[in-house]
Amino acid sequence: MKLWQKIALGSTALLSATVLAACGSSSSSSSSTDSSKVTGTVKLWADTTQVSYYKKIVKNFNKKYPDVTVKVTQSPNGSANAKTDVGKDPAKAADVFEVPNDQLGSMADQGYINPLSPAATKQVKANNVAVSVKGVTWKNKLYAFPFAEQAQTVYYNKSKLSAEDVKDWDTLTSKGVLATDFTNAYNFYPVFLSAGTYLYGKDGETLTGTNVNSAAGVAAMTWLAQQKQNKNVMQTSNALNQLKSGNAAATLDGPWNAANIKKILGDDFAVAPYPTVTINGKKVQLQAFQGIEAFAVNSHTATKNQKAAATLAEFITNKQSQLIVYNESGQIPVDKSAQKSDAVASDPVAQAVMTMGKPGYSTLMPMMPQMATFWNLSAPLINGAYTGSIKAADYAAKLDTFAAAISKKN
Amino acid sequence: MTSYHAQRRASLIARYVLLALLAALWLFPIVWIVLASFSYNDTGFVSTIWPKQFTLSNYTGIFTSTQFPFVYWIRNTLFVSLVSMVLSTFVTISVAYALSRLRFRFRKPYLQIALVLGMFPGFMSMIALYYILKSFNMLNLGGLILVYVGGAGLGFYIAKGFFDTIPRSIDEAAEIDGASRWQVFLHIGLPMSKPIIVYTALTAFIAPWTDFIFSGIILSSSGNAKTYTIAYGLYNMVHATKGTSTTYFTWFIAGCVVIAVPITILFIIMQKFYVNGITAGADKG
Amino acid sequence: MFKKKSNLPPAATYKEVWQKGDLSFKLSFFFMGLAQLKRRQWAQGISLLGLELAFIGWLSFSGVSALGMLSNLGANKTKRVVFDNAQGVYLTKLPDNSVVILLFGVLAVILVLAMIGLYIASLRSLRTLYVQVRDGEHVATNREQLRSLLDSRLHLTLMVIPIIGVMAFTVLPTLYMISMAFTNYDSKHPIGFSWTGFKAFGNVLTGDLAGTFFPVLGWTLVWAVCATVTTFFFGVLLAMLIESKGITHKGLWRTLFVIVYAVPQFVSLLMMAQFLDLQGPLNTLLMNWGWISHPINFIGASANATVARITVIVVNMWIGIPVSMLTSTAIIQNLPQDQIEAARMDGANPFQVFRHITFPQILFVMAPALIQQFIGNINNFNVIFLLTGGYPMNNNYNGAGDTDLLVTWLYNLVFGQTQRYNASAVLGILIFIISATVSLLAYRRTNAFKEG
Repeated sequence: MKLWQKIALGSTALLSATVLAACGSSSSSSSSTDSSKVTGTVKLWADTTQVSYYKKIVKNFNKKYPDVTVKVTQSPNGSANAKTDVGKDPAKAADVFEVPNDQLGSMADQGYINPLSPAATKQVKANNVAVSVKGVTWKNKLYAFPFAEQAQTVYYNKSKLSAEDVKDWDTLTSKGVLATDFTNAYNFYPVFLSAGTYLYGKDGETLTGTNVNSAAGVAAMTWLAQQKQNKNVMQTSNALNQLKSGNAAATLDGPWNAANIKKILGDDFAVAPYPTVTINGKKVQLQAFQGIEAFAVNSHTATKNQKAAATLAEFITNKQSQLIVYNESGQIPVDKSAQKSDAVASDPVAQAVMTMGKPGYSTLMPMMPQMATFWNLSAPLINGAYTGSIKAADYAAKLDTFAAAISKKN
Repeated sequence: MTSYHAQRRASLIARYVLLALLAALWLFPIVWIVLASFSYNDTGFVSTIWPKQFTLSNYTGIFTSTQFPFVYWIRNTLFVSLVSMVLSTFVTISVAYALSRLRFRFRKPYLQIALVLGMFPGFMSMIALYYILKSFNMLNLGGLILVYVGGAGLGFYIAKGFFDTIPRSIDEAAEIDGASRWQVFLHIGLPMSKPIIVYTALTAFIAPWTDFIFSGIILSSSGNAKTYTIAYGLYNMVHATKGTSTTYFTWFIAGCVVIAVPITILFIIMQKFYVNGITAGADKG
Repeated sequence: MFKKKSNLPPAATYKEVWQKGDLSFKLSFFFMGLAQLKRRQWAQGISLLGLELAFIGWLSFSGVSALGMLSNLGANKTKRVVFDNAQGVYLTKLPDNSVVILLFGVLAVILVLAMIGLYIASLRSLRTLYVQVRDGEHVATNREQLRSLLDSRLHLTLMVIPIIGVMAFTVLPTLYMISMAFTNYDSKHPIGFSWTGFKAFGNVLTGDLAGTFFPVLGWTLVWAVCATVTTFFFGVLLAMLIESKGITHKGLWRTLFVIVYAVPQFVSLLMMAQFLDLQGPLNTLLMNWGWISHPINFIGASANATVARITVIVVNMWIGIPVSMLTSTAIIQNLPQDQIEAARMDGANPFQVFRHITFPQILFVMAPALIQQFIGNINNFNVIFLLTGGYPMNNNYNGAGDTDLLVTWLYNLVFGQTQRYNASAVLGILIFIISATVSLLAYRRTNAFKEG
């Protein structure tokens, strides 16, 4: 409690400095700093467990924008389901809500969300790391305010594995058991990317840019099949339980579970970026999906509240707010200076996630509307290769159907 | 003679053993659920039958949590189920009585339409129901009650089957004595149908405690956890956010046990009426 | 006992009412209730006239536009993003909201039909009134009419509220769902959509969902048969075991089993899923006892399809047998004993008695309930959704798993990320057709069986 207050106070000063600097450089554009003019009533959705600290952030917001009434409520099914929750009735949905970046393209095309104003775009681009800006850019426009980055990393038990061991998949799994879930495409589709294929092209926006139906794709399938033979790779629906019982020494997981894992492993807790893997005889970096969490503004919001909504979304994703969120829930900030702050710099989880954010370690989740189909079809594919229900001879054919199905214009 | 007795004795023992085994098999998972609700757990997964560490913290946690206003959920659900119980029973019994004892022009069409409506899965309708309630500004517990009661007009089968078994001659005698049909309904029909009223009422009472999908669709748009019902609240607890399923899983189990106990007791009370209703209905087809 | 109104020739034609009736009768063809009002039948007259006026008011204020927009579900189908200079933000000009247009259009159609029905009913009562006046019969007073609502027209009193409820909360949503199947309401057209005829049916039956639809349909039918038969058969056996001679505390034994059914399913099934997990308590226990050397993947996402399917049927037995045990208990208690005694005298062993007498008798009584159960199992959402979530995965399917039933798949299409609303409406209609066909055939057969 005390800590966040300190950080909040410290960063307010920093923030106002950056804001001042930003508007100094862009005095021509209609800037968002004239706080007295912003009025309206705005509803904000936060995940069930996050309501409490978003209320605090909104309190800060109201210090600066006293004429905006903000109602913080919990979203129906969590931010992971933002698209369907908003889609059920956009008019009743919140004016500002959290959304993972892979749903942005489809929500933008469907007309659920508004693009950012030029002034806000400039601000976001200036303050946040490049990957997070790219993560919210769809067809050359920004559609949401990024505030956190997510990528899976290796969490392991220090007493059983050394930092050296976890640098390579083969060494890791020869020295200890890695518990993971092959039925989750988020975990293992990136193997295909590691093998050198693209999902929706290099830019992630090309419908026909998926080239997984190739020799590289088959090699990735082969790698997945090999894992079934490896006794130290454990298929489980609950890796944490295996870590706790000592059956497993490592797992792949995201920062949202870091606190839980810390509790389980205690002093033996350690974290590292993904290891390298050997696909088709070549050592390559195992990639993860890079996800950007962001706040978007509902296009159904009444015109008179649009400005207030955009201002709120911008405020709750500024550096100060990002740090509060980081403190409360361990979500890794994307603000450049927030990433350099002491708390983040000394946090091994944040460091590992940020390493995963670098090029070569991860691929940004594409934003294509076809991603919904992609998730539906990729998991059975990976699972089929892993369990052996897809025979090696059929890999190429299966990948062809898969690539065709996710590249349909529909 | 002794061998015959011995054989019967052996058969009885064998049957008792079989019954005991089956009962144990049936109750084993239930016992495990109760045990799991007392287990200390921080991985969101219970992998053993006997908890490694007993704790009451799941129960204290769920009753004192501000994030998950469990007591509000119980209160809301109790409110919905009591009101819906009274109104739904009234509706169901009226419809069942009318369809069974009275003859009127749209009786056959109503029975047929009811049969047809029952064969459509309800999920698409939920979207429509959401918008209907929204247009009345009733996306709240009241709207939920309205929908439960609105559906009660189709749940008449068992009660109708029951009324069908009451001989019609009783009504006729009363009518010859000058009683109006309303009086027959009030003074003859209703008193005789006590078991089926209890059954209908209890069914209507239990429904809101187990409905986690529709109540979620209606109530979630308020965004205020204090307005949820228990089934959606508990379901939401482990499904809403990444990581929460880990943290709150044992709380979830504890919450489930808290509501499962009274419902189970109610159901056990109800089983007699259930059997009467079902068989009476089945006889007639 | 009951008046057979329909068989009597009408005492007057509508033409006669129109030609020979006084002005109030003539006017009543346009303004319902006037003739009744003139004869001091206040309640009937006022309600008829009031309803008509309300209807006309509604029609002119919103009904006509609601019906009109039904033809194209809103003219504006495209969204435009514009920059608002005053506020310095982008705004989206949204298409017309077809969901609401369709819903209120369907509502308008229902109201118009209801009004036509009411009009016909009012004509009928007008004719009765005319005959009474013409022949000098007693014309019911206002008080008598009101009293008849508790007597000869008690059905109206009892049914009016339920019917309104069913109309608003079941008929309207169902019609809305059916019409949705003929639109292109999907993730590409989430706000403004249009009529597209049978295109969505094409997608499901021959398009990209066909490869999933037919296997899932097959499994749904297999599941429904297995689930119904197993719970029924073993329920009867269990009931007979408890009812057999010498067993004491029968009620207590029954209660023990019923507890399982009484626990809310979202508790018992969600927990059962964990109980059966690859690393769950059951596997741990079996391994500790040394019964198995490797954990069995019962229902996990990567389980074997056959294993998972058998598991869900077995778990369904766990939940379903207690109910069918209760039902068959009551039937067994009421079975005529004479046949059984006679068979015993003839030296039939217990198995033969069961096979040839008891079981057929129970089956005979239970047949209609079994058909209902079968339909219920086709739509058995809870067991699959809560227990397996449709898993194991199947790489030949599109958005469904090996244990998915049509109804759980439908749920995924509506509430899942793919947002294929129209396809799910098509599935809903197809499920209805299947259920209707099956029950029609089954009722035919059981009727023949009963009569033969």
